[in-house]
Amino acid sequence: MFREVTFTDVNRAAVDAQADFVMDEETFRGFYDRNARGVWAYLARVSGDRQTADDLLQETFYRFLRAAAEHDSEDHRRNSLYRIATNLARDARRRTLTRPHADVAGHDVEAIANRTSAPDTTADFDRAMSRLKPRERAMLWLAYAEGASHREIAEVLGLRPASLKLLLFRARRRLATLLGRSETRHAAAP
Amino acid sequence: MRQPLNCEFESEVLAAVLQSRWPHRADPKLQKHAETCTICSDLATVAGLIDSTREQTRASATLPDSGRVWWLAQVKARREAARSAARPITATQLIAGAAAVGFAGACFGATSRWFQEALAGFSFSAAFAEHTALATAMAAVILLVPAAAWLALRRD
Repeated sequence: MFREVTFTDVNRAAVDAQADFVMDEETFRGFYDRNARGVWAYLARVSGDRQTADDLLQETFYRFLRAAAEHDSEDHRRNSLYRIATNLARDARRRTLTRPHADVAGHDVEAIANRTSAPDTTADFDRAMSRLKPRERAMLWLAYAEGASHREIAEVLGLRPASLKLLLFRARRRLATLLGRSETRHAAAP
Repeated sequence: MRQPLNCEFESEVLAAVLQSRWPHRADPKLQKHAETCTICSDLATVAGLIDSTREQTRASATLPDSGRVWWLAQVKARREAARSAARPITATQLIAGAAAVGFAGACFGATSRWFQEALAGFSFSAAFAEHTALATAMAAVILLVPAAAWLALRRD
C-alpha cells in the first residue's frame, strides 16, 4: 500500500533530480568550447589575475546554466555569459578590496606577455591596462578584442547605451595617454 | 571648445587595424589623417595593441574540459537542490523543538505544587512595574530570536 514519505525521501528525490539547466549537455559543450577561452581572457584582463580568471570561469558557466533566461540567439547567450562574468569579477574585486594588503592592481596578467614573447610594447600595454579602472578595461577589451557593439557592451556592463560612446572615448584616451604614444605623436605633429 | 567624440574616419581606421593593414598597408591619406586626429590615433594605438595581445592572452588559458565543467555543474546543482530541500525540514524541526519545550513547561506548571504556590503569590503588574527594562528586553528577545533564526535559515 502507501508508504509514508520521509524527510530522507524528499532529500533523495531532490538529489536524484536532473539539474534544471538552460541547455542539454551536448549544446553546452559546444557553447563552452566556442566561448570559454574568450571568457577566460576577458576575466583575466578585467581582474588582472590569472588565478581569479581560473576560479571564476567555472562559476560563470554554472550560473549561466542555472539562469532561467531565454536566449533568442547565440549572441544573446554570449552577452548573458559576459554579463555574468562581469558581475563575478566585480564581486571578486570587492572581496579583494576588503582584504588587507591585497594586490588590487593585479599585475599577474603582465606575466603572460613577459613569459611568451616579452616585447616592451606588450609589457607597456599590460602595465597601462592594469592602471585603468576595471570597467574601462572591460569596455576596451569587449570593444576591440571581442568586437562587441556599443549596445552589446552597454548590455554586458549594465550601462546606458547612450553614455557608452563617451565612456569608451575616455577609456581609450586614458589608455593612450598612459601609453604615452598619442601625446608624443601630437607633440611632434605640425 | 568641447572635444569631438567622433571622427568620420574612425570606422576605416578600426577596420584597417583589425584587418592587420595598419599602418603600412593602409591608405596613406588615412595614415596622414591619423597623425593629426586624436580620436583616430588613439583608436589605432589602443585597438592595435588589444588586437595583438588578444590571441596571446587567450592562448595562455589552461581551460578545464567541457565535460568536466558540465559534470561539476551537475554536482553543484544537485548539492544546492539537496540543501534547499533540507531547509524546510530544519524549520519544521525548529518549530517541533520549540513546541516540545513549551509542552514540557506546561506539564511542569500543571503538576508542580511548588510552581503553583509561587505563581499564586506572584503579581505580574507589580513585577512589570518593578523591572520594566528587564521585561521589555525579555519580550524583545522572545520576538527577535525566532525572527533571527528564520533569517539565518533563509540565507542558508
